This record gives sequence, C-alpha cells and structure tokens, in this order.
Amino acid sequence: MATPQSHQLQVLTPMSGSPRQLIDTKVTVETPEGVDFQFRIAGPGLRASAWLTDQLVKVLIVAGVLLLFVLLAYAFELEFSFPEITSGFAMFSWFVVDWFYGGLAEGLFDGQTFGKRKLQLRVVRTNGTPVDLLSAIGRNFLRTADFLPIAFSGGLLVMICTRRMQRLGDLFFDTMVIEERRLTVSRPAQLLSKVERLQRSECRHRFQVPDRTLSVIERLFDPARAISDARREEIAAPLGNALEQYMGFEEAGPDPDNPYQYFQKRGLRHTRFLLRTMKTFSLTDEDQQDTTAASPQEGRKHQSRPVGDSE
Amino acid sequence: MNRERYIRLRRDDWAQYEKLLHRLQYTREGQWLAKDVSLMARLYRSICFDLSLVQSREWGSQLEDYLNQLVARGHNFLYRSPRGSVLPSVSFLTTGFPRLLRRHFYALMLSTLLFAGPLLACTFLAAVFPEQTAYLVDQEVLQQSIEMFSPSEYRRDGQNFFSERSYMFGFYVNNNTGIAFRAFSLGALAGLGTAYVLVSNGISIGLTQGSMLAVGGQTRNNFFSFVITHGALELTAIVIAGAAGFVLAQGIVVPGNRSRLDALQYSGRQALRIALGAGAMLLAAAFVEAYFSPSQIPPAAKYLTGAVTWALVLSWLAFSGRGGSSDES
Repeated sequence: MATPQSHQLQVLTPMSGSPRQLIDTKVTVETPEGVDFQFRIAGPGLRASAWLTDQLVKVLIVAGVLLLFVLLAYAFELEFSFPEITSGFAMFSWFVVDWFYGGLAEGLFDGQTFGKRKLQLRVVRTNGTPVDLLSAIGRNFLRTADFLPIAFSGGLLVMICTRRMQRLGDLFFDTMVIEERRLTVSRPAQLLSKVERLQRSECRHRFQVPDRTLSVIERLFDPARAISDARREEIAAPLGNALEQYMGFEEAGPDPDNPYQYFQKRGLRHTRFLLRTMKTFSLTDEDQQDTTAASPQEGRKHQSRPVGDSE
Repeated sequence: MNRERYIRLRRDDWAQYEKLLHRLQYTREGQWLAKDVSLMARLYRSICFDLSLVQSREWGSQLEDYLNQLVARGHNFLYRSPRGSVLPSVSFLTTGFPRLLRRHFYALMLSTLLFAGPLLACTFLAAVFPEQTAYLVDQEVLQQSIEMFSPSEYRRDGQNFFSERSYMFGFYVNNNTGIAFRAFSLGALAGLGTAYVLVSNGISIGLTQGSMLAVGGQTRNNFFSFVITHGALELTAIVIAGAAGFVLAQGIVVPGNRSRLDALQYSGRQALRIALGAGAMLLAAAFVEAYFSPSQIPPAAKYLTGAVTWALVLSWLAFSGRGGSSDES
C-alpha cells in the first residue's frame, strides 16, 4: 500500500512475531510438513484432579476384582480359608493396579487414563507423538520420587522449573501432559445483523480496505475477547478515524426530522463504523444473505439502535 | 481472500476432517479403509497449510487455536511409535536383561556394596554381640519370628498351608516388589533415595539374620533353610533394582557426553528395563518363598536347592547372552 496515509494504518497492526515470545503455557512443535503448531501444557491443578480421579478408579478396580473373585469362589464352592486367601489376593491386585494402572492405561489408550480423559488431558512425547508403553510405565513409576517429600511438592517444584511443566517422571521419559480442548470458531454474524453496509456514495476517496486492516477489525470483534463496549469504542476510535480518512468517509449529519436518533448513536460511532466496514468488505455476497436470512426481522428492528446495546 | 471468505471456503473440509479423525481414532487399525486413510492424509496436509496461512496472516487467535487443535490431533494420530507389547519378551529375560545389567557394571557394584555391606556387618554384629545390638532390633517382632521358626511351631500339619501361603504370596509381592520399585524410582533423586532404601533394608535384614544366628539350634536351621532358596532371587533382585536406581541417577549426576536432558532420557529407559526385570525376578521369588521355602521337606534338600538356585541365578546374570550385542533398546 504505497498510499500517503498508509503509515497511519501500519501503526495499528499488531507487532508481528511477538506472539511467539509470550509467556504462556504453550509449547510449539514443528510437524514434518513444516508447520508449527502449539500444545497447551496442563497445569498442576488439572493434573492433580485427574490424579485424584484415578486414585478412585484404582480403588474401584481392585474392589471389583475382589468381588468377582469372591463370587467365583462361592460359585465353585472352593474349599479354602477364606479371609486369608482373599486378603492375599487383595494385596496382590492392589500392588499390580497401583504400580501399573497409569502406565498401562496411558500406554495402551493413547496417553489417557480415565481421569485424564475426564479432564481432557493427554500424555504425549515432547515431540507431539503418542507416548509409548515403556515411557508410560516409567513416568508412572517415578511418581514415587515426585511425591516426596510430601504430597507431590517435589514434583511441583520440578514442574515450576521446567518450561513444559514436567515432573521428574516426565523429564526422564521425555513426556509432557497437554490440555486437549475441542474448540470451535464462532462467527460475528449476530453482531453484523444489527448494522447496514457502507454505501459507495458515503466515501469520497476509495471504496476498499486493506486485508490486514480487515483482520485487525475482525480480531477486535473476536467473541473470545471479553472487551466491554466502552473499551472497544476506545480502541476503535484511532483505527476508525484513520480508516475514515483513508476512505474519505463522511457520516451523514442528523436527520432534521428525527435528530434524537443521531445523537443516541453517537456514543459508539467508531465501533459502529468498523462493524459496517466489516460487513461490507469481509463477507461474501453469500454470507450477506446468510446473515440477513438468519434474522431478517431482528435485523431491521435493531438497525436504529446503537451497536452492542444489550437488552 | 479475507478471513470470513476463507472460513466459508474451508469449513466443510474441517468438519469432514474432525469427523473422520474421530472415527479412525475409535476403530482398530485393522478396520481402517484405504480410502479413509488417504483422505485423512490429504485433509491433514491441507489443514497444516491452513494453519500456516492463518498464522502468517494473523487472522485471530480463535481461528488459529481451532486449526492448531486440529493439526495437533492429526499429528498425534498420524505420527506414532510402534506399539510395544505388554509382556516382556522371552529373549529379554533370557539374554537381554543380563546383558543390560552387565553394561551398567559400576551401578551394580555400588548397589551391591550399599546393600551387602550393611547386611553383612549387621549380621556379624547381631550374631556376636546380641546384648549390645538388642536395642537396635524390635524385640517383639524378633520374638515372633523366633517363635515362628521354632521346632514346635514350624512343623505344623499342612491343612491350611495353601490358604496361609497364598496370603503370604500377596504380602511378598506387595512388600518386596514394592521395595524394589521404590529403590528404582527414588534413584531420580540423584541416587540418594536408592541408597537409603538399600542401606536401611540391608541393616534390618542383617539384624534379623544375625539374631537368628545367635539363637542357634533347630530354630536357626529352620530359618536359614527357609531363606536360602528364594534369597537367591530376592536379594539379587533388590540389588539389581538398586542398580536400576543408580543408572537413573547417572543421568543426573554424570551425564557424560550427552546434554543432561538427553542423558536423563537415555538412562531412564535403560533403568526402567532393568527395574522391570528385577520385578519379574521378585515375582518368581515370591512364588518360591510362599510355596516352596516353608514346605515340609528336610532342610538338607532345601539347602541343596538353594545352592543350585544361587549358582543358576548368578551364572545367568554373569554369562547369559555374552558374545551378542546389547543395543536393543
């Protein structure tokens, strides 16, 4: 964009490159396809509740196995001293379940025990591939070391010191625990149904917006961001002003017959302008029909109201 | 092309990919259709492209997170290591395990020293100076074991033998293998935990053994004929588990030419295999200890089997699998 005004727009685009250096709980992995993607590392709280769930599951498994054992013994009328054999069997099965439940579950079911599955966590190797059986067993064995001196405080300390929040078991076996949330993308159709498109006649200079500026606007209305209407208007003001200048947009003055409406809308005028820009340039014709078809009644009803006015 | 138009264009593929991925993840590998697999690969690659495009155009965190999650799941699905088997292979137990152990000779020696040293010293002290060491031993427990091995108590009719011994089997597995696995995993604390487990168990076993020596008579004979056979497997396995703990510690303390993180991962896998081998040995030891050691055969026969077992175990560890390569991890 070799236009004289372009520098004003450049200032407003977010600094590229900076998201990679943010201090957050994400770890970047490069795929063989040459694309970087990120894992969100699971924190100690989530992992602790998964662990608690798993402790419960372990107890239930042992209880179930014992019940089965007792029932079988009765069914076949085996002759033996009951309490002794049963408690021997209980100790044996508790031992097996306690030491191998986590490792076998993670190794055989793609890095998820029951508790991890419930909390949408998964154990993966640090390169993003699924954990293998040996590593899964190993990282669970070392839980004994992480538990020391009391209640996993040693493991917690190690987690704090490592970038991928790994405890000792994870460090020794090259694994990490990730949060695996199912995400969706919601689209701003609802917002856009409340405004009308920009008219060609309203703009003196040009009737177009650079793609990067459009994406900045789209991000401003990203529903994932909780921004109050007032704050959004504040952010929108410099961008809106620059864009109005760039396009030569001039808002129509108050309607002499009904001036009240004009002043009512005045409060969020930049937000409103950016929404109109987005509706005009970022949607296809197909989308336009979509949004109006979705709520034709509503769309018309709210046209006169200020944008983002909650009812 | 702007964001909204792009989403409109691509979202059918994304939905199809999500559905397909879910379906493939929850069916067995053998039941996958060829066309599904190739469609999966194509969709995955196209979504990788989508992600990199969205990243470079900065089209909003929400869209990026969504695509990121799709790629992460696909990557996790497509790139995997070969499935391991749950049971250790026969060749690992016969040849691989002794080989691996001999490769970590120094760890094994350190572990032997820390376990056998206190054990022998305490045996000697408790046998020669029973009065002076009395305060170290829990007298109640000692009296119980002396009673247990005394001639009158030890020879009972075998009516309840099976039930009682099955209880003890559960106890031995839980207790002894638990000690071995702890000795291994506490090696992660730079070997200090392992040293503690080895020394403390060496002391307590030594004191018991020495006290039994001091008691003498038929009780002593009963005790030593009881412990000798499974001792061959049990005591060596504890030492081996300790060695596994020290192999683990090696990654922390002496990483050698590797970076410390690499050294941790290298020693972790090796140590775990050693510890699992020790676990298998202890399972066998628990069988022997529960059902053979207390059986009503003459002590001489037990001493003989014990001696043979010791010879077999030691020569298995020392000679089995020599002449081959130990790189099979």
